[in-house]
Amino acid sequence: MNELLEEVSLVERPEKNKPLGILFWVCVGWVALNVFGAIFANVLPLQNPLFENFSAVNAGPGLHHLFGTDDLGRDIFSRVVYGSRVSIAVGVGAMLIGFGIGAPLGMLAAYRRGRFDMVLTTVMYILLAFPAIIATIAVLSFWAPRGLAKIILVIGLASVPLVYRVIRTATMSIATKDYIIAAKVQGATDRRILVKELLPNVTPIGVSFLLIGVATVITLEGALAFLGLSVNPPTPSWGNMINEARTVMAQNPWLVIFPSLALCLFLLCLNFIGDRLRSHFDVTEVKL
Amino acid sequence: MSENEKLLVVKDLVTTFATPGGPLPAVGGVSFDLDQNETLGIVGESGSGKTVLSRTIMGLQPRTNVTVSGSALLNGFEVVGASERAKRQIWGTDVAMVFQDPMTSLNPVMRIGKQIDESLRVRHGMSRSSAKHRAIELLELVGIPSPQQRYSAYPGQLSGGMRQRVVIAIALAGSPKLLMADEPTTGLDVTIQAQILNLLDELKERLKMSVILVTHDLGVVATRTSRIIVMYAGRIVEMGTTRDVFQDHRMPYTRALLESSPKVASPSHTRLVTIPGRPPNLLKLAAGCSFAPRCAYATDRCRQERPELQPAGDPGHLFACWNPLPTTRGATPQ
Repeated sequence: MNELLEEVSLVERPEKNKPLGILFWVCVGWVALNVFGAIFANVLPLQNPLFENFSAVNAGPGLHHLFGTDDLGRDIFSRVVYGSRVSIAVGVGAMLIGFGIGAPLGMLAAYRRGRFDMVLTTVMYILLAFPAIIATIAVLSFWAPRGLAKIILVIGLASVPLVYRVIRTATMSIATKDYIIAAKVQGATDRRILVKELLPNVTPIGVSFLLIGVATVITLEGALAFLGLSVNPPTPSWGNMINEARTVMAQNPWLVIFPSLALCLFLLCLNFIGDRLRSHFDVTEVKL
Repeated sequence: MSENEKLLVVKDLVTTFATPGGPLPAVGGVSFDLDQNETLGIVGESGSGKTVLSRTIMGLQPRTNVTVSGSALLNGFEVVGASERAKRQIWGTDVAMVFQDPMTSLNPVMRIGKQIDESLRVRHGMSRSSAKHRAIELLELVGIPSPQQRYSAYPGQLSGGMRQRVVIAIALAGSPKLLMADEPTTGLDVTIQAQILNLLDELKERLKMSVILVTHDLGVVATRTSRIIVMYAGRIVEMGTTRDVFQDHRMPYTRALLESSPKVASPSHTRLVTIPGRPPNLLKLAAGCSFAPRCAYATDRCRQERPELQPAGDPGHLFACWNPLPTTRGATPQ
C-alpha cells in the first residue's frame, strides 16, 4: 500500500492553478447581484419605477428614496434596478445570438479549412470592415417600431463576425494539435471531433470572450439609448436614464451619477472576470 | 524473412506540396514493402521526408495544397486517392499511430480512460462497461501501474513517459496490424526512451503487429528493427537489413549519419563528426544526386545524373550511389 502511495505521488502532479483572487469573487458577486435584481425586480420590495410622485421631485438620496428621485418624482433606485433588465437582456441576448451563429461557423471553418473557410472568412471580414455601430444605428432608426427583441436581434447579428473571428482563430490553434489528428486516425468522425475534442478545448476561450462581449454590447446599448434608439421611455434602461438626466444635470447630478455608476461597475466587473478567466485558462494551456 | 503476404506495399510514392515557391516534392518516389510482424526503421535528418512519408502511407495529408501519386497498398487497401470516409475504415484497425510528443497528442480536457474508450465504443460497438474493462486492460498492457485509478486521470496528471504509454494504449485499442511510430521517444527523457522502445518491441511480439519506427536517432533503430530505410531529400538512398545498413553500408550518406551519432566507446570529449553543409532545398533540387554537394566522394557524374537504387550483395540491400563505399562483407566488422 505504501509502495502504491509513493508511486502515485511520483506520477500524479497536483494541480497548481493560481487562485482567482478575492477581487474576482467580489466581481462575480456583484454581477450575480445585478442579475438577481434584474430577474426578480418585480418580486423585490421596490417602488414602482414608473410612478410619478410630484410631491417629491428631484429629491436627493435619503431613507425613503435610497438614490433620490428624478424630475418627475420617480424613484431612481428602483429605476436603476429595473434598468439593469434592459442592459442585461440586451447584453446576454445579443451575445447568445452572436455565439449561436458565429461560434459553430467559426469552428467549422477552422476545422474544414479549404474553400468553405475561405469564402466564409472573406464574407465575415467584409462585414467586419463595416462599422457595427453605424449599421445598428441605421437599422434601428428605420425599423420601426423599436422594441427589446429587435435591438437584441440587430446587435446580435452585428456581433456574429466578431465571434466568428475569435472562435475560428481559437479553433485553428487547437485543430492542428496532435490529439486531434490522433482522434482522427482512431477513426473518429468529423462531427465527433468537433463536438468531443474541439468544443471542450474552445469553450474556456469562448466563455471569457462571451463575458467581455456582453460588456461591450451593454456599452453599445447604453450608447444607443443615449441616442434615443433603445427601448422607448418611460421603460428605464441605464442608457436612457443617463440620456434623460442630461437636461437636468446641473440641478440634480444624482440623476446622472447613479445609473452611470451602475453601468460602470457592472461593465468593470464583467471585463475583469472575463480577463481573469482568460489568463487563468492561458496558464492551463502553458502548463500542459 | 518469411514469404507470407506483405502487409504494406509502397510503390513510387510521391507527395508534393504546392507552396508559394513552387511545387515541393517532400517525398520524391519511394518504393518499399513491409512484412507481417516486422519492424522497419525509417531514418534521416530533419526535412528528409520521413514524417511526410509516414503520414502519406496513413493517408493523413492536409486537405489542401498537396498532391499524392503512386501507390500505398496497406493490407489490400489502396490509401492513395482514398476518400476520408474510406480511410476511416482502416484507421485504428489496420493502422494506428504513436505521436512524437505525448504532451500534445492527448486531449488535455478529457480523462485518459475516455480517450481510450472512445474508439472502442464508436468503432467496435462495445458497451460502456466492456469498453472501460478493455481500456483498463490496455492501460495494464502498456505497463501503467494501478490502471483502475489512472483510468479517470487527466493527461496533465501524468508524467511524459506515462502519457506516451497512454498514447500507445490508445493506438492499440483497435488492434492495428501496423503501428506507425513517428519519433515516439523524441519528447522523452533518455531513461524513459529505452522503456518505451522496449515496450513497443514487446507489444509487437505479443500482438503480432508490424511497426514502422520513424526516427533521426540511429541508436533507436539499431537493436529493434529488422530492416532500415535511410532517406535523404525525400528519397530512399539506402535500404537493407539492420546489419547491412550498420556494417556494410555503401552510400556515403549512411556512413556520415552513422559517424555523426555519439558512441559510448569513444573517449570523452571526442568531438562529434558532423555532416558539412545543409540538407538541400527541395524547391531547387539539382539534376544529380541530392547528397552530392555535401559528399566527399562526389564526382561530376554525381552532380549531373541521379543514381537509382541498385542491389548490393545481400538480398534486399539496395543503395543509390555512383561511387559506393567498398563492401565490408567478409571483413571483420569495426
